[in-house]
Amino acid sequence: MRDLIIIGSGPAGLTAAITAAEHGLDILVIDEYLKPGGRLLGQLYEEPGGNWWNGIEESRKLAGRASSLGLDIRLGISVHNIEQIDGSWLVHADCETFETKSLLLATGAAEAPVAIPGWTLPGVMSVGAAQVMTNVHRVKPGQRGVIIGVNVLSSAIAMELKIADVEVAAIALPKTNQVNGKAANPSEVMNALLHVSHMAPSPLVKMGSKLMTNDFMKRMGITLYPKNGVRMWDIPVMLRKAVIRIEGTDQVEGVTLATVTAEGKIIPGTEEVIGCDFVCIAGGLYPLAELAALTGCPFYHIDELGGFVPLHSEDMRTPLDGLYVAGNITGIEGAKVAMSQGKTAALAIAKDHGQDIADTSLSEAVRQISSTRSDAHIQFHSEVEAGRRKLQEYWEQHAAGMRNVMV
Amino acid sequence: MTDRDMIVCRCEEVTYGELVDTAGQFACNSRELKLRTRAGMGYCGGRTCRSLVDAIALAATERDVTQITLKYQPPVRPVHFGDLGAIPND
Ligand SMILES: Cc1cc2nc3c(=O)[nH]c(=O)nc-3n(C[C@H](O)[C@H](O)[C@H](O)COP(=O)(O)OP(=O)(O)OC[C@H]3O[C@@H](n4cnc5c(N)ncnc54)[C@H](O)[C@@H]3O)c2cc1C
Repeated sequence: MRDLIIIGSGPAGLTAAITAAEHGLDILVIDEYLKPGGRLLGQLYEEPGGNWWNGIEESRKLAGRASSLGLDIRLGISVHNIEQIDGSWLVHADCETFETKSLLLATGAAEAPVAIPGWTLPGVMSVGAAQVMTNVHRVKPGQRGVIIGVNVLSSAIAMELKIADVEVAAIALPKTNQVNGKAANPSEVMNALLHVSHMAPSPLVKMGSKLMTNDFMKRMGITLYPKNGVRMWDIPVMLRKAVIRIEGTDQVEGVTLATVTAEGKIIPGTEEVIGCDFVCIAGGLYPLAELAALTGCPFYHIDELGGFVPLHSEDMRTPLDGLYVAGNITGIEGAKVAMSQGKTAALAIAKDHGQDIADTSLSEAVRQISSTRSDAHIQFHSEVEAGRRKLQEYWEQHAAGMRNVMV
Repeated sequence: MTDRDMIVCRCEEVTYGELVDTAGQFACNSRELKLRTRAGMGYCGGRTCRSLVDAIALAATERDVTQITLKYQPPVRPVHFGDLGAIPND
């Protein structure tokens, strides 16, 4: 039996593994992908101040430290079930079952889709898939693409495609229907973008900062927003045009765009077809908490964190004995926050294993999560700190409830 | 192609029209919508359509913030029958 199994070798899982190994724990890391690094592998963007965040380089550094510590990392294996039996955890992977005293879930995030007629054609992919093809496998997803969904992730990936010399004909909204929700509403999208301004296309931010003062101005802003979009790195970002259909017989041949009102209603007679050979769908991210959901761990839906998250404390413990979480499974944030959560989880685990971890080092690690968060250059939701506070309240309520049961 | 003919659940080939009609007729929550249409019950376990099925059901029902709307069941990845009976080796 291991001391600790970590599921996920992204920035959270790898940082946790390194920290726990430094404290002498016997660890196994499992990941279903063929390389360590998780979603870090695809990341490439310029931070304010001119530094480049190169995810492949960062992954290599983490994997290098892990291998110098002799860590056992098994790749290409999926975990399909976990269960707690007699005080230890069974981790069921493809053909093997592993046993461990402590289990850290660091499974990251998944992409949500938006649905547009024609989205099942070959050549339509999630924006993350285009990122992995381009930045990890160095394969062009196509010659000329259209991205559906205007958000932080899609604008970051549009720029990565551009760097790889893949043409992005437009980033546009999805059409309004019952499943696309706020992602199809120009005013909502503009609001959301302006609040996470570091990553939003800068001309938009310049224009937007004047508009943030009141609701009337915001409505005016989206009404006056140029129909053909604002150019970001020469890619038109269209907040007043929606893709209403993806065209093609056997594969993607183009998209039909239409102008929409500030609320997202199609203006008849404005349809136009533009040609492309691939389409990226960008509906946002949500915490990939499926394994935690099998354990009976309580869950809460917190919009600011991206969806349902497993209940956990600031030091990454869940209410279940020996079960911990770190990284995007706890809420959608950037890779640096995931790393600081991984470190904190590892310290909490080492402490629970009787290692000599001072309370001050654990609370210092918790503080570092917050400071990393406030310094983060990439933010997926403007109110992420409020989301974290909600979760902390749920945790305290839960802990108080448990104390009442004990009395 | 219209929204109504658009496939939402690829594994079980359930259309948007079918989901919206069912949700409208029975004012059902996500779980019931899934059981009535089989959306999200195929090979991928709802990995792709989960949030869409949820959104359609939420038009008629309130979200319970303490309950994951479409329950996860093991195995959460496709597994061969032969591999499910594996014996611990570690
Ligand atoms: C498409 C996409 C693009 C992103 N782009 C950016 C960006 O540009 N900048 C940024 O800061 N953040 C980005 N993010 C957010 C990203 O999630 C975080 O930056 C960070 O990578 C989260 O780290 P993590 O360790 O929590 O998870 P991840 O890095 O996602 O790693 C999780 C790992 O767990 C593995 N895993 C999951 N389930 C299982 C299972 N059942 N069995 C075995 N292995 C499993 C996965 O294979 C994966 O390698 C992006 C996320 C996605 C999904």
